[in-house]
Amino acid sequence: MLLQHVVNAISLGGIYALLALGLAIVFSIVGLINFAHGELMTIAGYTTLGALLFGVPFPAAVLLAIATTAVAAMAMERIAFRPMRGASVTSLLLTSFAVSALLKVIFQNGLSARPQPLAMPQWMTGSYQVGNVAIGVGPTISIVISVVALVGLELFLRRTVTGTAMRAAAEDFPVVRLMGIAAGRVIATAFALSGVLAGIAALLWVAQRASVDPLMGAVPVVKAFIATVVGGLGSLPGAVVGGLLLGAIEIGLDAVLPPSVVPYRDAFVLSGVILILLFRPQGVIPAATVRRG
Amino acid sequence: MFAVGHAGCVGNSGSALIMLHAEGIKVRYGEIEAIHGVDLNVGEREVVALIGANGAGKSTTLNALCGLLPTVAGKISFLGTDVTGWAPDKISRNGMALTPEGRRVFGQLTVAENLMLGGAAHAGRAERVRRQEELLELFPVLRSRMTQKAGNMSGGEQQMLAIGRSLMSRPKLLLLDEPSLGLAPQMVDKVFDLIVALRKAGLSILLVEQNVGLALEIADRASVLRGGSIALSGSAEELASSDLVRQAYLGVH
Repeated sequence: MLLQHVVNAISLGGIYALLALGLAIVFSIVGLINFAHGELMTIAGYTTLGALLFGVPFPAAVLLAIATTAVAAMAMERIAFRPMRGASVTSLLLTSFAVSALLKVIFQNGLSARPQPLAMPQWMTGSYQVGNVAIGVGPTISIVISVVALVGLELFLRRTVTGTAMRAAAEDFPVVRLMGIAAGRVIATAFALSGVLAGIAALLWVAQRASVDPLMGAVPVVKAFIATVVGGLGSLPGAVVGGLLLGAIEIGLDAVLPPSVVPYRDAFVLSGVILILLFRPQGVIPAATVRRG
Repeated sequence: MFAVGHAGCVGNSGSALIMLHAEGIKVRYGEIEAIHGVDLNVGEREVVALIGANGAGKSTTLNALCGLLPTVAGKISFLGTDVTGWAPDKISRNGMALTPEGRRVFGQLTVAENLMLGGAAHAGRAERVRRQEELLELFPVLRSRMTQKAGNMSGGEQQMLAIGRSLMSRPKLLLLDEPSLGLAPQMVDKVFDLIVALRKAGLSILLVEQNVGLALEIADRASVLRGGSIALSGSAEELASSDLVRQAYLGVH
C-alpha cells in the first residue's frame, strides 16, 4: 500500500515539478509568471490528439506535440510578451491572463467545448507486481520521464553556453547583454524550454486522464504556481522541491483523509502551503537572484 | 602579454585617432535629466579619466555609452560607426566593453563560467580557451579559483574577474566604472598596476574613478563631470594642477 502511494506521489509531484520548472525558468529571466502555461499543455494535448487521428504513429505524435508546444511558447513570447518587455510585473501578469483566456475561448469555439477521448497505448495502462503490491506502469513511466527531463534540463543549463547564459541572466540580465549576448536569444530559449517541459507534463497528465479538453491546463498551472511559490519563486531547485512536496501532500491527504472529507482536500493543501510560507516566506529554497537597478 | 585587437579608426584628435566620440549626450531618469549634453573623446591607445563627485553622472555616462541606458539627445560614434541607440549586446560585439560599477560578477556561476560568458558572443570554444590562458597569465590569482563560485571570492578577486571577463571579448575600448571602489589599499594598487599593463598593451580605456589622484597619474587626458555636465577637460597634468581639481577632488587647499 505505502509503496503504491509513494509511486503515485512521486509521479504526480514529478508532473507538478516539470510545470513549476517551466514557470520558474521564464520567471527567473523575464520576471513573468506565465499563466498561459496551462494553455501550452492544452496545445500539447490537442496536437497529440490531432496527430493520432491523422494516423501518425504514437512516438512521432508525442515528439510532434512537444515540438509544437515549444514553438507555441516562443510564439507567445514573440507576439504577446515581447511588446511588454520592461513593463511592471503586474502588467506582465495581466498579459499572461489575457493570453490564457483568449486561447481557452479559441479552443472552446474552434475545436470543441467537450472533452475528447485520447487513449494511451495499451502497454501504458497495465500494472506490475513488486512483491505482492501492484504498481501502475503509467505512474512508473511518468517518474522515469520526469527524471530524464530534469537531468536533461540540468545538463543543458550546466554544459551549454546558452544554458550558462540563462543562469547568468537569472542573476543579472543587463550584464549578460554587456557580454555581447543577445537578450532575445536567451529569452526565446527560456520560453522554448518552458514549452518543452509543458509539453512533456501535458502528455503525462493526459496519460492519467485519457482525454483532452479546452480547460485541461487550468488546474495544473495553478498547482504549478503554488509549487513555485512554495519552492521559492524563480528558484529552479525550489520548483522541483515545491512540485514534489505538493504531489506528496495531495496523495498523502487522499490516503489519510476520511472519504467524507476528501472533497475538501485542496483546502487542507492550501492551508499547508500557507503554513510553509509563514515559516519560510521566500520559499523552501529561495532564489539567489540579485536584482539591481 | 595580452594582445589587443586593432581598430580601424577614422577621424583625428591631435595625434591619436578617435575611437569613441560622444557629442551632446543627454540621459533622463523619468522627469529628471541626469546628464545634460556630455561631450567625450577617447583616442586609440589612450587612457581617459572621467572624474567627479558622487551623483555627477559618471556611471550614467558610461552606461549610456555602452547602450545600457537610452540617450534622449546627442550622438555616439564608435570606430566611425554611429552607435547611438544600439542595444548593449550589439555595442559589445562591436568592440566596446564595460566593467560595471560594483563588479557584478555572476556570483552563482564559477569563475570559469564567468570568463566563458565574457567571450561567448565573440569567439569559438578553442579561441576562448586560448584567450583564457592568456588572461590567467595576467590574473594568476584566478587560476586556482576557476571552479569556485565567483560570489565566494573577495572584492579584489571579483574585480580582477570582472575585468578579465570584459577582456575575454578582446575589446578595442574598455570602460571601467569605479574599479577601486571598496577595495583594500594593496588591492587598489594591483588593480591600477593592471590598468597600466593593459594600457601598455595598447588598449584604450575610459576610466571612471573616485580616487582622482591615482586616476590622473595613469591617464593621458581627463574630464571633470559636475552636476551632469563637463566642467573641465584637458591633459591629466593640466587637470592635476588646476585649482578646481586640486581643491574639489584632491583635497589640496
